[in-house]
Amino acid sequence: MKKLSVGLVLLVFGIYAKAQDSQIKQDSTRRIDEVHVNRMVKKKIETEMKMSVSVDEFLASSENISFIKRGAYAWEPLLNNMSSERTNLTIDGMHIFGACTDKMDPITSYVESNNLSAIDITSGQAGSMHGSTVSGSIDLKRKSTPFSLDPKWSGAYQTGFEWNNKQFFNMGNLSYSDDKFVADGSISFRKAGNYADGHNDEVKHSQYHKFNTSLGMAYKTSPLSALRVDAIFDMAKDVGFPALPMDLWLSRALITSASYKQMFEDGLVKVWDSKIYFNAVEHYMDDTTRPENLVHMDMPGWSTTYGLVSKINLKKDDYASEIQLNAYENVSIAEMRMYPQDRNNRTMFAYSWPWVTTRYVGLSMNNAWEISDKSQVNVGGALGLNYNHAKYVEFNWIFHPGTPQEKTRFLPSLHANYQLNFDSFNFSAGTGYGHRAPSVSEGYGYYIYNSFDRYDYIGNPDLKNEISYEMNASLGFKKEKVGIEVKANYFYIQNYIVGRILNMGSPMNYQSVGVKGYTSLDHATLFNFSIGGHYDILQNLQWKGLLTYARGQDDRGGNLPFIRPLSYQTSVHFTHHKIGFQTSLNGDFTQNNYSPEYGEDKTSSYKIWNVSADYRFNIKNCKAVVQVGAENLWNEYYSTYADWGNIPRMGRNIFTSLKVGF
Amino acid sequence: MKILLFMAALCVVVMSCTKGKTDYEAEIDTVVTEHVEFKEAATVTTNGYHIRIEALNGTFYKGYNEIRLKITNSQTGEISNTSGVTFLPIMTNAMGEHQSCPHRYQLMERSDEKYFSGYAVFTEKSSLDDSWNLYLSLTVNGQTFQVEKSINVQEQANKNLNMTVFTGKDNEQYIIALISPQKPKVSENELLAGIYRYQKPIDNPSGVFPDPTQFSYTEVNGYMLQLDPRMPEPSMGNHSSPNNKDLTQQNDGLYHGVVNYTMTGNWTLNFIMQNQDGQIIKGTVVPDDFTPGIAGAKSDLHIDILF
Ligand SMILES: [Cu+2]
Repeated sequence: MKKLSVGLVLLVFGIYAKAQDSQIKQDSTRRIDEVHVNRMVKKKIETEMKMSVSVDEFLASSENISFIKRGAYAWEPLLNNMSSERTNLTIDGMHIFGACTDKMDPITSYVESNNLSAIDITSGQAGSMHGSTVSGSIDLKRKSTPFSLDPKWSGAYQTGFEWNNKQFFNMGNLSYSDDKFVADGSISFRKAGNYADGHNDEVKHSQYHKFNTSLGMAYKTSPLSALRVDAIFDMAKDVGFPALPMDLWLSRALITSASYKQMFEDGLVKVWDSKIYFNAVEHYMDDTTRPENLVHMDMPGWSTTYGLVSKINLKKDDYASEIQLNAYENVSIAEMRMYPQDRNNRTMFAYSWPWVTTRYVGLSMNNAWEISDKSQVNVGGALGLNYNHAKYVEFNWIFHPGTPQEKTRFLPSLHANYQLNFDSFNFSAGTGYGHRAPSVSEGYGYYIYNSFDRYDYIGNPDLKNEISYEMNASLGFKKEKVGIEVKANYFYIQNYIVGRILNMGSPMNYQSVGVKGYTSLDHATLFNFSIGGHYDILQNLQWKGLLTYARGQDDRGGNLPFIRPLSYQTSVHFTHHKIGFQTSLNGDFTQNNYSPEYGEDKTSSYKIWNVSADYRFNIKNCKAVVQVGAENLWNEYYSTYADWGNIPRMGRNIFTSLKVGF
Repeated sequence: MKILLFMAALCVVVMSCTKGKTDYEAEIDTVVTEHVEFKEAATVTTNGYHIRIEALNGTFYKGYNEIRLKITNSQTGEISNTSGVTFLPIMTNAMGEHQSCPHRYQLMERSDEKYFSGYAVFTEKSSLDDSWNLYLSLTVNGQTFQVEKSINVQEQANKNLNMTVFTGKDNEQYIIALISPQKPKVSENELLAGIYRYQKPIDNPSGVFPDPTQFSYTEVNGYMLQLDPRMPEPSMGNHSSPNNKDLTQQNDGLYHGVVNYTMTGNWTLNFIMQNQDGQIIKGTVVPDDFTPGIAGAKSDLHIDILF
């Protein structure tokens, strides 16, 4: 009895805990893991090529993630070729909203790879568990060590150097666990200079400095329940954004939560997990490093969120279900203050986010029935209530006279999926329907300068909900040595929100060429397709390949921006005793379907060749890995379709890293 | 418990933001003082009556001033039965020349509020050279008498109540004075202005000074003021705002329009004044070109404001 309880509680806090050695131990207990319905496989935070990666690099290795890059830091993840407003980005189900009007701070920039255990990526409406979405959800899972029978310490230290931008990082994490108490701590420092492009020219303002630390503690309140508190503190300082007309002076985030988890041995309800959270983000941009700027501006931003997540897992026979209540309140504030050339004159002030409050309450559910050994049906949905309030609504009245100060929206979502396995084949088909509310910028943004198309953007509080109709299918084949999977999804998005040139008003930011207002297209369509395969040539020599294609069109057949052209990745992995060797080639074909209307130009094809080698050894009781590699070995000069302002990417980069774990 | 304490401490440390948020409403107050209360600006006691002249903040400012006159019995303090109150402000310069300014000569009785209502648009502030006098005439209990009172007109610190004097293409002298908003916001603002024309005297002055026919101004009727607000600051590139409404005359005789200010700071209200027939009396079109780095072009009829 006691053993079972311990085993259950072992799972309470985290699934993939520490290093590789604990993997097997957990596998045996994974059968009674939380009931996960319809969710993607979790990943270890490292890529094929690199074992010490940033969160961005890690996400980039996922097939349906691409990035808008404004520099070397804080890339904006695009899921299914849709921008972050359409994606539900959370940390352990907690909503956090960036405080930058220019999207310098996606949530992914506030964590570090050594305090994450996995990233859950769910495509489409199946990702509506944590709130309304169109493209899906990205949930960053924090590391949490399970309780253990005997007191146990574990930890890891990673360090590395990357030659191109002189990036130097030091990361450490330490965990303690016994049968009553668990603590996880991590700390990391990263420092990078400007990187050089493929012409060996320095890309100015591409440096960054990041500090991140986290602490989590859990206490077992009874054999079947536990209390946990977590905090992450992240600070980025002196971060350059070469594609933007300004840099980041300081950005800080505090992410805290307290959760209580109760497990049940008998009955329908297996787990009840509730969490309250609070997070605060502050973001201060800096344009004084850019002498070419005619106007000095201060652009601070703040985002504060309180929330609650409460989830129960049900399981009975062939039926499993997750039901989750999400509630949060966010206040987003962004200011701009322009300084006149004659500093004796009065400064000019406006809110780019006029104190916008967003409240959301939603109930989500996912149900899975195993119809037979071979087939399963998943059905789920969510109903959310989204409320917005602008304290200084008079800013919005300038472009939308008389628009109400408050707006309430209902955000329903439904999805269904059928999975079938027979012999070596697996097949799945699904459909989804869901609404999303406009983001703070889309609804209430005020003269937010977009340096990509060089327009000032004005939000529209009266925008209609974006409504997504979605279909997806996949077909896979898997034998011992070979596997192949084809996936496709199609989105028909009604009231697709874009910026359109307004024939009124005039630009406020001096680099700007005009004013665009957020409006709804009648609809837009998006199609994503991927084919991936792997083949074990020898037992210690494996090949992997992936080809992706996407197409996005507006209601008149015009191209949508930031749609990835035909792209490929292929890699070979070889291991011999303690030595590992891998090489990969990836690239995009020419972007033919670009969108001049949204500031895009044609991006040429490129191909990047990477190699790396690692060696595993033991120092006393510690396991160590040392890795050396090179990215962009051909020193190709390139920028991708989603590089803001066509800034060139990094040229040849040699990286080394060392990881020691116990 | 320790954990919670630690978390609470961490929250406090980090929640204290590095830079404070702007209190933008308070910031506007630092350059704009809004006056809402009528106070005594001048008093005269004569013939047993006490004449109290009230203006906003108890001060006469250059520009538009709403005037309230209260006449009481100086002994009893009772409101006196008064009629036929006239009001004439006259400025005398160092050379002894006289001129007036737009004003309401025949004050209107607001019997329910027990005062006489008028206005004056002082075109200059009082100085060593220029001095202002008010010439009042009133009939109390059947007895008519004249009063003269020297007053002090101060500079208007609030640029949102600025005014301009100009000669139109019709060779007439006009005055445009801003009346409201006193304290604009980054928002839609109801814009209120008065337009006045100097009536050139037809007859020679009669013997008694001051002869009101020599100092007559009229409220201009049926004109229109086309409005084009801009930010003149060079870095703003002659930035404008949307959804403004030209000023047209309403029942109160004043000109009403809508101005949108997109941010705080210096703004120029560019006008084109048209008469009843749509002819341009004054004002030029300001080009729409976005001209960063260059001080914004202005209409030759404009008023600068600041908030
Ligand atoms: Cu920013």
